[in-house]
Amino acid sequence: MDKKKDQTKKNEEQQGNDSLVEKIKQLGQVNVPQAPDSNVHVLPIIGQVEGHIQLPPQNKTTKYEHILPQLIAVEQNPKIEGLIILLNTVGGDVEAGLALSEMIASISKPTVSIVLGGGHSIGVPIATSTNYSFIVPTATMTIHPIRLTGLVIGVPQTFEYLDKMQERVINFVVKHSNIKEEKFKDLMFARGNLTRDIGTNVIGEEAVKYGLIDEVGGVKEAMNKIYELIQQNSHDTEVKQ
Amino acid sequence: MILYTPLCETDVFPINEADYANYEYVSYEGKLLYVEKQADGSYQLIQLISTDPQDYLNKAYQPGTLLS
Repeated sequence: MDKKKDQTKKNEEQQGNDSLVEKIKQLGQVNVPQAPDSNVHVLPIIGQVEGHIQLPPQNKTTKYEHILPQLIAVEQNPKIEGLIILLNTVGGDVEAGLALSEMIASISKPTVSIVLGGGHSIGVPIATSTNYSFIVPTATMTIHPIRLTGLVIGVPQTFEYLDKMQERVINFVVKHSNIKEEKFKDLMFARGNLTRDIGTNVIGEEAVKYGLIDEVGGVKEAMNKIYELIQQNSHDTEVKQ
Repeated sequence: MILYTPLCETDVFPINEADYANYEYVSYEGKLLYVEKQADGSYQLIQLISTDPQDYLNKAYQPGTLLS
């Protein structure tokens, strides 16, 4: 009997050790801090924005069919008062990116975005879709014309289609940030900035200078801003009532 | 070798369909988890998909956790 108990105890210990080893392997640490419920939720948009086509498993992707219901949940849950969007994306599906941007822009709760590392291509409208946007000093954003993937049926028709799609992206960015349409188009079609390609790579402060992003800052600034917006928001609703 | 092509990488080098088979999205205790199937039939958690930052501190959803 005792032997059996010893055995189970040993097994448990073994399992405990295994999970400990696993934890160190995956996180590089043993314990992670615990904290009470948060009224600010976080939505990371990392890797490629994946839309209609499923990418191979070695790609790190953010699937828009996962994000859209989460945005609805954030809007619906009364305990959630604000949303922070973490962006480190290379871009991806234009339609999926625009869908995400429109969803984020139409949320009634305060939203703040932080561009970390990169917010390229379709990441630009996503970054501007929030109430207030931050970019860390080292992050970059590549602004470039829409590129082609998929089938070309007729060249003029395809061109027209792409042109319209691009117009949608430009309109969204211009509407949701302080950048002027002229300036944004200038950056988009600039030559000589990207080797053998057209477009511009704006870094941290430059993005703020052009009016694309509201402020240079990281987590601390973003958290302060979201609390400020939450306070404003609750004050506004009180006044209305 | 450098390939200059307007095609997507996956159009040039088709991917093995079997690669997809081991990865799955499952709903576990109400949370959406991205898991990889192990050789022994259990699932290892790769990514938690949640907007609640506290979920990421929950030991049960730490990456690498084996789900049975």
